[in-house]
Amino acid sequence: MNAQTWKDRLGSLHYGQMLLYAIIAWFVITFLILPNLNVYYEIFFRDGSFSLEPVEKLISSKRAMNSLKNSFILAVSLMITVNVVGIMLVLLTEYFDIKGARVLKLGYFTTLLYHGVVVSASYKFAYGENGIVTKLLAGLFPDMNREWFHGYWAVLFVMTFACTSNHLLFLGNAIRKIDYQTVEAARGMGAGPFTILWRVVLPVLKPTIFALTILTFLTGLGAMSAPLILGGTEFQTIAPMILTFSKSSTSKDLAALLALVLGLATIILLTIMIRIEKRGNYMSVSKVKSTLVKQKIHNRFANAAVHFIGYALFLIYVTPVALIVLFSFTDARSISTSTITWNSFTLENYARLFTSMSALRPYLVSVIYAAAASLLVVALALFASRIIHKYKNSRLAMALEYALMIPWMLPSTLIAIGLVLTFNVPRLIVGNTVLTGTHWIVILGYIIIHIPFTMRMVKASFFSLDHNLEDAARNMGARPFYTFRKVLLPIVLPSTLAVLALNFIKILDDYDLTVFLYHPVYQTLGVVIKNSTDVEAGIIARAMTLVYTVVLMIMSGITMYLVYGRGAKDR
Amino acid sequence: MSGKMKALAILMLVCLVLTACGGGNGGNGGNAGNGGSVSGENGGNGGNAGDAGDGGEVKNEKLIVYTNSNSDGRGEWWIEQARQAGFDIEIVGAGGADLTNRLIAEKNNPIADVVFGLNHMFFENLKKEGVITPYVPSWASQVGENLNDPEGYYHGLVKQAIMIGYNADVYTPETAPKSWQDLYTNEAFKGKYEAPTMLGRATMQMVVAGILMPYMDENGELGIAEEGWNELKKLYDNGLPMVEGEDLYANMAAGKVHIGTVVSGEKFKREQEYGVNVGVVAPEQGVPMVVEHIAIVNGTKKMDTAKRFIDWFGSAEMQGKFAAEFSAMPVIPEAAQQAPDHIKELFAKLKAQPLDWSFIAEHIDEWAEKIELQIIN
Amino acid sequence: MITFKDIQVHFGSFHAVKNLNLEIREGEFFTFLGPSGCGKTTILRALAGFVTPTGGSILLNGRDITNVPIEKRGIGMVFQNYALFPTMTVYENIAFGMKVKKAKKSEIDAAVRDIARKVDLKEEHLTKKVSELSGGQQQRVAIARALVLKPAILALDEPLSNLDAKLRIQLRNELKALQKKFGITTIYVTHDQEEALTLSDRIAVFNNGVLEQVGTPYEIYNHSGTEFVCNFIGDINRLDPALIESSPLRAFIRPGKVAYIRNEKVNLAPIEGEDVVRLRARIVDREYYGLYSKYVLELEGGSRLKTIEKENGRVALEVGAETDVYIRPADIMQFDRTERGH
Repeated sequence: MNAQTWKDRLGSLHYGQMLLYAIIAWFVITFLILPNLNVYYEIFFRDGSFSLEPVEKLISSKRAMNSLKNSFILAVSLMITVNVVGIMLVLLTEYFDIKGARVLKLGYFTTLLYHGVVVSASYKFAYGENGIVTKLLAGLFPDMNREWFHGYWAVLFVMTFACTSNHLLFLGNAIRKIDYQTVEAARGMGAGPFTILWRVVLPVLKPTIFALTILTFLTGLGAMSAPLILGGTEFQTIAPMILTFSKSSTSKDLAALLALVLGLATIILLTIMIRIEKRGNYMSVSKVKSTLVKQKIHNRFANAAVHFIGYALFLIYVTPVALIVLFSFTDARSISTSTITWNSFTLENYARLFTSMSALRPYLVSVIYAAAASLLVVALALFASRIIHKYKNSRLAMALEYALMIPWMLPSTLIAIGLVLTFNVPRLIVGNTVLTGTHWIVILGYIIIHIPFTMRMVKASFFSLDHNLEDAARNMGARPFYTFRKVLLPIVLPSTLAVLALNFIKILDDYDLTVFLYHPVYQTLGVVIKNSTDVEAGIIARAMTLVYTVVLMIMSGITMYLVYGRGAKDR
Repeated sequence: MSGKMKALAILMLVCLVLTACGGGNGGNGGNAGNGGSVSGENGGNGGNAGDAGDGGEVKNEKLIVYTNSNSDGRGEWWIEQARQAGFDIEIVGAGGADLTNRLIAEKNNPIADVVFGLNHMFFENLKKEGVITPYVPSWASQVGENLNDPEGYYHGLVKQAIMIGYNADVYTPETAPKSWQDLYTNEAFKGKYEAPTMLGRATMQMVVAGILMPYMDENGELGIAEEGWNELKKLYDNGLPMVEGEDLYANMAAGKVHIGTVVSGEKFKREQEYGVNVGVVAPEQGVPMVVEHIAIVNGTKKMDTAKRFIDWFGSAEMQGKFAAEFSAMPVIPEAAQQAPDHIKELFAKLKAQPLDWSFIAEHIDEWAEKIELQIIN
Repeated sequence: MITFKDIQVHFGSFHAVKNLNLEIREGEFFTFLGPSGCGKTTILRALAGFVTPTGGSILLNGRDITNVPIEKRGIGMVFQNYALFPTMTVYENIAFGMKVKKAKKSEIDAAVRDIARKVDLKEEHLTKKVSELSGGQQQRVAIARALVLKPAILALDEPLSNLDAKLRIQLRNELKALQKKFGITTIYVTHDQEEALTLSDRIAVFNNGVLEQVGTPYEIYNHSGTEFVCNFIGDINRLDPALIESSPLRAFIRPGKVAYIRNEKVNLAPIEGEDVVRLRARIVDREYYGLYSKYVLELEGGSRLKTIEKENGRVALEVGAETDVYIRPADIMQFDRTERGH
């Protein structure tokens, strides 16, 4: 019977499809398995034999174990807090009838504009010892400790609010697809607003929430800049240690091992989620969907409370961004001390941007790389998701799914090193050419590290598709690829475009991976920014960081606007 | 179909927007151009590039130069100088560790032609990995004793002293710490100084090496006696950790810390930038002196140009010019004369701590690992 | 027209369809009826080509289509949830199949407008997104989309499930009318016996992957072939063996058989005929529905029978009243004792 099914499957394949499958298999083997295996081999078997020494080293280190523990604490805490805040934001902007929801939404969306070190730095502008909020509070309570904003709670606070972008994008998409009749029906049966939310609305959002939970967990595990900047001595996490070790010639094994631990934790969580995903079928069965109507909250007290929460969150979100923009117009000293006087304002930073960025090239290079890589990774994820969706129960599909998670098992530094190491000699598998030092390797690097995230999100939207659509198209004579293009793709497109945009933004100023891969003649924005804003580069550089951030914010904003701003209305 | 089109449209729009930005930038591009022609007041010099090209006797190939010391405008300065001397160079800047990793990863198919600015330890590593190739530049003999690689792989350019710096408004030379040991044993300094926790930075590695050096012991863990590790533990226990994104000079200005690690090459500039007055300590045992070197990357296809470039780059004339511009301390005595007075005075006061470089190079990564795992809390 | 020959379908270890042999005639409205999981949808999907049988063959007009690709079978399918493409307009949905076949634009346009008119979709509906349509309009789009390709067979997979009762009846009537209008061979899958009886020319009843009976609605209802069929369709009384033993019914029921009688065949009003069996009973419950009433009767010996009587003034009995009960032996259905069917 197995042979029979195989024969059937092969019989229904077309040559184009076969080619596609071959390409995906080749990509996975060549760029996901080979280089990363190579790195693991180099690291663990370099001296000819595998030893448990690195494990012992790590276990005997109190600091490493503490950091690891903190990473997990953070990851688990974030799973809760980010979901709470993220769901709240989505409900505030999409579900409840809130006055000024459009403005609020813009505020909440600001997290899409900046990431990394700048986020924590900008929160410091607000809550640090010279921060505006701290000063306000100190005015009210003169006895307070002005160095209050550090440690676990500070890290959790910043990361909770900084990591809600995905919720806004993907959960927002999902909630808009809810069939309003189910809400009305529940109300007809006497359910209160809370019951409706809990029993009717949230269950439909489950697949998306699952996917987002995994991502949040991963973000928490890999937290780097927030703990570094705000964690203080009491709350350091493992990611900075991994980064340091991955760059040292003798400690790469520790980096790989630690990354492996984090990766395995993610994979375990993922496996559980995949199980649940397979079991649960949250597809809408209704034939006549009606669009969600925003819910008025009739209880006056509750309504006031929800409005208050909405605007309070808005302030939390907007303050850091506003401060970044504000401080980008001040001199270096104000920036480093977080204080502003009337004399602080200057246009010098921007003037310097235009002279120091003498060439437009880094922008162009980055945009082209980012566009190419984000398009390709999304295309890859689409095809892979389709395969996994189609052959849900096949072993090969499972293997593919897990293979595409490999990049989560290694820090990006090591992925980059693996690529360079593997492809700096002609390899038959890539047409007997050397890839190191070419544009290809840069694009490949970007593609590889963004695969897992892209896969999660694209797959989630694929799994919410109705199988019958595909059958219907086939019934009318459409070939699989035609069906994919004309029927399925348009449905998953909103989420897919969001992923595309997010990847694009992240690639624009990537440094950790780029530094190993970029072609010297084609420096990217990330490299140029890092070079001119490195802390060791002095005071001017620090001012420039903010200017570049503002520039990137504008670029990100434009990207998001193109994807969302106009599309949202007719969608 | 609409999906593809949309994605494409977005892409196009992004490009358009950027080109539009470029329109705005174009003016600045012009600015930069202006800057170029201003320095081209020595127009004759500018013509040099063309001459060299026309001359035919030497090929004017573009050199890819890797360095970790291109910040603070040094990279731009070198590019401009090289252009005037007829060299076309592209500078690739990154941190010392990143650069070394990249060079090693690329060794089968090198992209770089020349690498400079890395310290001794990194170059030892590169040499061991076969990344660089021997070449003795014309100026090698002028370099101070023991500062070049005896096997001729890399040669010295400038010296950097790695010192304890203190806020001179808080301490006087009398109240300031006398040495690293004084710093971490004296209760008065507890919690007042920044400990070298960021071991990814070469400077911090040197501090550690300097402290451990006296405790060299073949039988000790990683070549260091128990005592040495205990000393180091005190250093980290009594100091404040460095914080990502924060700068020592800025923190001194803000009064957050008073003492930390400073490097001779950047001290002067930072003092001006942040408006702080930083005093340095000249301990009796000396301070770690790091020499930045230059070498040719093994496998370069532009060997002749690379050799010519190094001969020019490390020459007393160019290093002297560089020293005058950026307060550096060249290893060629003749060039060192050009350094600003404050640098000369500083180095006159300092003594180089005797360090066993090959020993350090061999162990530093392991030490860093041990420190990360067991010493830092 | 369609012949299923020894069809077997396995899903792993699950035997979904067991040795099916069935013939469907040209122009017929044919229904696959059965409880969920009985294999009826699987057979439809096998016919359409979504499922490959593990044994046997399917013939269409004598041609073996068992391994013919889906799109070449000429079977128009309407899905349970219609599976209309949400990102397309009504027009694009209907035109989809023709576009796939690379038909000329003008041809497509003419065909789409023609079929839309025939299924009563208004011109202004064509430019709408499918999500803006009512349930009835969506069904018409789904049918139009299937019919525009001029299929030999129209296959409908529970198209009326998940709809409210009123809409279901309305759409049922529409569907029937459309089928008559087009005269197309139609295969209809449902678990709703009422739908099956009202719509079909013939019905096939399935249980556990086995075809239990094929026949006209009348045959299926009045001459159920198996105990399962008679139980699945309509409301029915199982005649208590104790009752049979102690009553004149005994003469008409062969030993060892189980006997059933449909509710409405248990008469409270006297009926003429030679063999009519008369029993004595007491009314223990009555539900009044206006058009008719449902009664529960208790017979001598305690066994109960349900019946239904038209409210035409001839029978009006209150709870507690004693009455005669009339049964025609010819109305009794008898089956061998089997394990299934209960």
